Amino acid sequence: MQRSPDVPPLSPVLLAGLALRPFPVVMLQPVLDAVMLIIHRRHPDVFDRLSGFQNPVFLIDPIDLPCAFILTPETRNPRVVAVAEYDPKTILETADAVIRGPLMSLMDLLEGRIDGDSLFFSRDLMIEGNTECVVALRNAVDGAEINVTEDILALFGPLAGPLRIAKKAGDVIFSRATQDLAFLRDAVIAPSMHRHAAIESQLHKLTEKIDAIDRKSAT
Amino acid sequence: MNRPLELVCPAGTPAALRAAVEAGADSVYLGFRDETNARNFPGLNFNHKELAEGLKYAHDNGTRILVAINTFPEAGNPAPWHRAVDCAADLGADAVILADIGLLDYTASHHPSLRRHLSVQASASNPEAIRFYCNAFGVRRVVLPRVLTVPEIAALNREIAGIDVETEVFVFGGLCVMAEGRCALSSYATGISPNKNGACSPASHVHYENQRGKMVSKLGAFTINQFHADEPAGYPTLCKGRFVTNGKASYLFEEPTSLSAAMLLPELQAAGVTALKIEGRQRGRAYISQVVTAFRKALDAIAAGQPPPPLDMSALTEGQRQTTGVYEKTWR
Amino acid sequence: MMRKVKLSLGPTFFNWPPEKWRDFYFRIADEAPLDTVHLGEVVCSKRLPLIEAVIPEVVERLEAAGKEVVVSTLALIMSKREMNIVRELAASGDIMTEANDVSTAALLAGRPHVIGPFVNIYNEGTLAWFVGNGAVRVCLPVELSGIAISKLIAASEGAKPELEVIAFGRLPLAVSARCYHARANGLHKDNCAYVCDQDPDGMELETLDGAPFLTVNGTQTLSHSCCNLIGDLATLAGAGIRRLRLSPQDADMVAVASIFRDVLDGNLDLVTAECRLSGLVGGMAFSNGFFHGIEGARKAGPLAAAE
Repeated sequence: MQRSPDVPPLSPVLLAGLALRPFPVVMLQPVLDAVMLIIHRRHPDVFDRLSGFQNPVFLIDPIDLPCAFILTPETRNPRVVAVAEYDPKTILETADAVIRGPLMSLMDLLEGRIDGDSLFFSRDLMIEGNTECVVALRNAVDGAEINVTEDILALFGPLAGPLRIAKKAGDVIFSRATQDLAFLRDAVIAPSMHRHAAIESQLHKLTEKIDAIDRKSAT
Repeated sequence: MNRPLELVCPAGTPAALRAAVEAGADSVYLGFRDETNARNFPGLNFNHKELAEGLKYAHDNGTRILVAINTFPEAGNPAPWHRAVDCAADLGADAVILADIGLLDYTASHHPSLRRHLSVQASASNPEAIRFYCNAFGVRRVVLPRVLTVPEIAALNREIAGIDVETEVFVFGGLCVMAEGRCALSSYATGISPNKNGACSPASHVHYENQRGKMVSKLGAFTINQFHADEPAGYPTLCKGRFVTNGKASYLFEEPTSLSAAMLLPELQAAGVTALKIEGRQRGRAYISQVVTAFRKALDAIAAGQPPPPLDMSALTEGQRQTTGVYEKTWR
Repeated sequence: MMRKVKLSLGPTFFNWPPEKWRDFYFRIADEAPLDTVHLGEVVCSKRLPLIEAVIPEVVERLEAAGKEVVVSTLALIMSKREMNIVRELAASGDIMTEANDVSTAALLAGRPHVIGPFVNIYNEGTLAWFVGNGAVRVCLPVELSGIAISKLIAASEGAKPELEVIAFGRLPLAVSARCYHARANGLHKDNCAYVCDQDPDGMELETLDGAPFLTVNGTQTLSHSCCNLIGDLATLAGAGIRRLRLSPQDADMVAVASIFRDVLDGNLDLVTAECRLSGLVGGMAFSNGFFHGIEGARKAGPLAAAE
């Protein structure tokens, strides 16, 4: 429903994704299974909140990663499976809804930093298919207070403390790298953006004219 | 000196409830996970166990819990609404927020000691209506519909001064432009009724279509808005849609905007209101934390006799506009 | 069964010039097979002074023709002035009054009165309360389904209230403090210049892709489609409905009333009736979705296939 964010932002995630591209997605599966198990154990209410739906299937596509995820949040046996590719034209025959966007925006959604209303005003996320399922998923995860880092760290018991410090240092580097890349991107594309804005404004006027003509001829 | 204004905050999940309490809510309002309340949205609201835990948490922190049971049971099926009232009473809720007269009658006779608030959905916009609900059903607080200006609220409070009743008004969040509880627009387009089923412009009937490079948002069979491909497409709430009248497209009912009466808090206090309500049980806990924190600061400043600090809500309105709505007469 | 069903003409929602308004009711008095006619301003208190001068002669003409007159009152009462209008009407006591707000029902307590479709009566408990308060007739809200209507009729059997539903006309869907007619003309409600008089049948509102959707009448929003329960009359009568309300459009309402009366009396078949009604409202789309428990805008039931 939003601007099709098919072009991923230039970000550390994208670079990491490109680096990972040679590895088959099945290698991810054990990690995903472990994460899902933890989330299921620590936040059973997420799946309870979705129980009103007949086993919805979500395709979650972080556009800056070379893979996508199929999420089936069944109350007893929730699963997430990585897929290397899918056909955007037919995916809604198997999935109820598709949520597409940069990994970091999807993480914001998962960890409750984006609320239900803002979701629909976000320029970053694109939603297709059953809107009701998506709203339910958003509400369910928001209510669960999922924090992926904390949920995973909880596995490590006494090691969680030192790991948390390492994660924080990593976050600083990540955030710095994100800023640097954004700066680089802006510098590269600035001239063409100006031109783009001018063309867009002309196009906008033309579309309005066509709409007015359409309405006139309809009446 | 006036007594401090009560801050009434929304919660759609136990996490949001905790966020509201931590941010300084005096009261939190919530609903059961079914059609008995006006925010019956997928994945939202409380089951009985969550309400019991939420009540304990809130009461341990000195916060009141108000349970909204504010839809209208349709003939032949009153049981879920009666059960909801019974459950709120049994678990020790501080008040129930009701709209339907039959349900008010049931509550007054079956649970006389359970405090009763009148929901905005009852649209009690004048002194005779308020007097009626107080006399007939012992209502102790009325949430005023968003149809009155600040001077009208002040005049209304003067007229009901002889009745033992408080008034509560909305100060932030989504905004109904029609008189609440008296709008069948969404029902006309979707068959799902805000009054009966508790959902306006329900997500189940929302879809987006790509037409000739434009993104079209639809509610049921009706186009509510159109956007350019790179423009963010808003949620198609019916009365915030763009329509054509006399050959001209416009947001005839209301722009996609949020209510913010943050700048009117001293005036609302002077108008005699008891409580200020924040809309948004469907919003996430990030929203709840930020809005409640901001209003808590403002109310504490007012209580200390200082001017309220300017509230920065820009992060929450996401490029949406803000309005003081009907509180200023020119809105009409 | 159908013969016993009475017909009411609801209050006119639109802002018609006083002469047109008067002549409309004169003709209704003289020619229409109606049992009851509602007069009065429901939508906007600013319009009331416009028709006040001609109300007495219209009441007289209607009563002389043997029709019951009911005064309908404001749906949304916000100011002291509006409150006082209703207080005075309720206090006068010599004419049957219809309450369209809970406040008005409270003012009419203990005296026979009518409850209009703007008061939320969705269930047995609420209906019982209003009957106990003195309501002798209740016109149910527009979005009630046929099933709910049947249940309310069954629940009220034996007791006095006569239940009524809107069976024809654009459906009143919402009321607001804001005037959309003024807003569409770049004005505010306070300086509206009475622009709503430009649209005797309401201002049509279409979606961006040109589909008819709603109708704007000042502070009121109505359906674009015309509710028409002519195909559902047998079901309604079977459930025991005692009265139907026809809501005035800027059309030949005498003919509309005659068609409904003829169908109720078994003198006209449904297909002919539907066809004639369509001609009378210039081919306006008909809807009966609320009655069938679906989108109010849709058409279902025996005549849906005729589309």
